[in-house]
Amino acid sequence: MNAVLPSPTTIAALVKIGLLVGGLMTAAAYLVLLERWIAAWVQDRKGPNRVGIPLTNIRLFGLGQPLADGLKIILKEDFTPSHVDRVLYNAAPLLILAASLAIFAAIPFGSVLPPLGIPGLPDPVPFLVAPGLDVGVLWVFALSSIAVYGVLLGGWASNNKYGFLGGLRSSAQLVAYEIPLGLGLLGVVLAAGSLKLDRIMEAQATSGVWYAFAQPLGFIVFLVASFAEAARLPFDLPEAEQELVGGYHTEYSGIRLLLFLVAEFLHMITAAFLIVIMFLGGWHLWGVTGSAAEVSWAGALVRFAILSAKILGVIVFFMLVRWSWPRFRFDQLMNLAWKVMLPLGLANLVTVAVVEEYRPWLVERLGSSGAGWVALALPWGMFFVGWIVAGLLTPSGTDNRPIHTHGPLDAEQSLAEDLVEA
Amino acid sequence: MEPILPVLLFVAISAAVAVGLVGAAGMVGPKRTSPVKQMPYESGMDPVHDTRRRFDVRFHLVAITFLVFDVELLFLYPWAVASRSPAGIDAAVRDGLVGGRGVVFAGAMVFIALVVIGFAYDWRKGVFRWR
Repeated sequence: MNAVLPSPTTIAALVKIGLLVGGLMTAAAYLVLLERWIAAWVQDRKGPNRVGIPLTNIRLFGLGQPLADGLKIILKEDFTPSHVDRVLYNAAPLLILAASLAIFAAIPFGSVLPPLGIPGLPDPVPFLVAPGLDVGVLWVFALSSIAVYGVLLGGWASNNKYGFLGGLRSSAQLVAYEIPLGLGLLGVVLAAGSLKLDRIMEAQATSGVWYAFAQPLGFIVFLVASFAEAARLPFDLPEAEQELVGGYHTEYSGIRLLLFLVAEFLHMITAAFLIVIMFLGGWHLWGVTGSAAEVSWAGALVRFAILSAKILGVIVFFMLVRWSWPRFRFDQLMNLAWKVMLPLGLANLVTVAVVEEYRPWLVERLGSSGAGWVALALPWGMFFVGWIVAGLLTPSGTDNRPIHTHGPLDAEQSLAEDLVEA
Repeated sequence: MEPILPVLLFVAISAAVAVGLVGAAGMVGPKRTSPVKQMPYESGMDPVHDTRRRFDVRFHLVAITFLVFDVELLFLYPWAVASRSPAGIDAAVRDGLVGGRGVVFAGAMVFIALVVIGFAYDWRKGVFRWR
């Protein structure tokens, strides 16, 4: 009988997966509502506030809206246009949603539970689906790269010019910002000495110095890059409505469109998780939670609440930015990635590497508190130097006058000029 | 197998969620099609020509630069992880596998310097110039 039943660890993993998938889908639905409320508040109008309990007059501030939206979109026609590449067209939304959900296998959503005393289950139980996965962050990055495939396949298979351009733009953007993202991450990995996200949180809780303070430059680079990776304004060029209709998902409708939109929202949630876990101390808050490996039930709940509150804060920040800043132009976007973020990321990496390498030597010379101050001062100095240099040189500013090259479009261009003259 | 099993389960369940949603909608939704509905969307105009044409090589350049820098970053991850972890560089120095921390650090810095030289070359060559 025992051989038939899955092991307690497997059951625990299944329970966590169920909680995460259910929680994330619900969170995505209600965050859409939150985003609409924030949009309404920013634009000084009333947001969705009518849908409540059906068949009654109870409105509940519009809390029924996500359910109604979801139900409606499932009842819509599942339509495949005739001109598309059927296999890739159908695969793209499935791929992108599955990848953006499975990212959470390596992302902790709390600290640990107190020991449960269930035989066969190692105590304490961490809030993490795959606690033994040593490559942690790499899994997250691998799967967020797979999301690029979903976008590219969707855009290509649609056989639609808007979709194609959106897919190309999107892949170029995601690919370009993956490098600053990786550089920001590398500094954190170097300081924490582990790729596991729960270990990175522990390292910050133990030292009490969040990596946002220890590596300000890395934090800024990572923050900007994660905005771009999540395709949020000011970097939402993949689906700039005014120029590309819907970008790569122009030809999608009904439930498949929903999968793309949910995946995009999940990317934003993932970005918020990563920002909080890697740079904002995770479940740590000075004076409220210690760094102990084992906690009571109350402690576990407090840590979970702190982590959730921080993540919600970052998500609200994402939404406020969306309604505050205009969109970048594509050349500005690419210049920002390659000419500003990449050098700044490298500068941050070298600074962090030097600080971490010579920390023992500093501790020997200055004592541990003096060494701590020097280890903070160097990255901050680098942050201001980088900021000033980037501001003075403005490598992201561009001369966007067309360069005259002889290409296939020349004939059309000279024809157009002739027409204007005539 | 033990640490990877939950990951595989998660991948399987996420795929099942995606397929299940599409399948449910496919069963519930109406099926009404028409020739106009089947056309590619081009803001209401009749489509001009097929999308499958040649496109600009600049996307190619971005892809290549991405590959170069991403792979170079991947080489830095083992160093970053080993730098301070207990079974990392310090253990290797203790066991006499490498001369000292300084050698590894210098090696990593030389590697980053090479990346920077390549980056400067790309910049001068105008690879990052998006027009």
